[in-house]
Amino acid sequence: MKVAPTLEGGLRIDPETAEDWHVLRAILIDANSHDTDLATRLGGMVTDERVAEDWRDFVVPDLRESFADDLNQIQAAIETAAAFPNDGESPIWITREDAFSWYSALNQARLALEERYGFGPDPESDPSNHQPVRHEALLRSQFYCALQSFLLQHAL
Amino acid sequence: MPDTTTLTETKTSVSPQTPWNVIVHDDPVNLMGYVTYVLMKIFGYNENFATHLMLQVHQQGLSIVWSGELEKAEFYVQQLQFHQLKTSLEQAE
Repeated sequence: MKVAPTLEGGLRIDPETAEDWHVLRAILIDANSHDTDLATRLGGMVTDERVAEDWRDFVVPDLRESFADDLNQIQAAIETAAAFPNDGESPIWITREDAFSWYSALNQARLALEERYGFGPDPESDPSNHQPVRHEALLRSQFYCALQSFLLQHAL
Repeated sequence: MPDTTTLTETKTSVSPQTPWNVIVHDDPVNLMGYVTYVLMKIFGYNENFATHLMLQVHQQGLSIVWSGELEKAEFYVQQLQFHQLKTSLEQAE
């Protein structure tokens, strides 16, 4: 897979193999693999009784909807690129306007993986010690993190 | 007509409301550069100050990034949570 900045201030992703497409689609699977959804976890940070009930009733549903919209947007971008190759290429274009949705989706995926596997800020230096499923999850998390860094550097 | 006058004096005591703190907590996922970016975007802080707050979050586990009236504090917490930062709201002691 190649990822490169565009002259317009966005990013272009060029998946080259079936595995690349698999990893990109895994963003959505990982983002939805949580036990407790992100909106509920974030909303649970507001505990003052004068505010908490309204937060649960009004803010958390908005957060949930916003996070789902971000996932839907990048799913559409990935599947559209996959469905309509051009001269054998299927680039995914991330414009400046789309960048936050991509960042959000990648963050949701990383948060869900972190919740499930507890990699921590400094994952073990020898990933070969991991069980295969955990190892693959760590590699995906590191790829998502690299893509986020690229977005932060070039598109946000 | 009465030969005395009653004067009524009203004193209004205004005590400033206790402010609410917007607190960002550390988490193992959000990138340091992203936290700085979000603080600049939402509060309009300059990069130096936003970086200072981000480092507080990173090194001390949390940082009070804004204090003030409840309505604004709620707005800021909502914005920070939309950006997926672990953020809480507490009335200052």
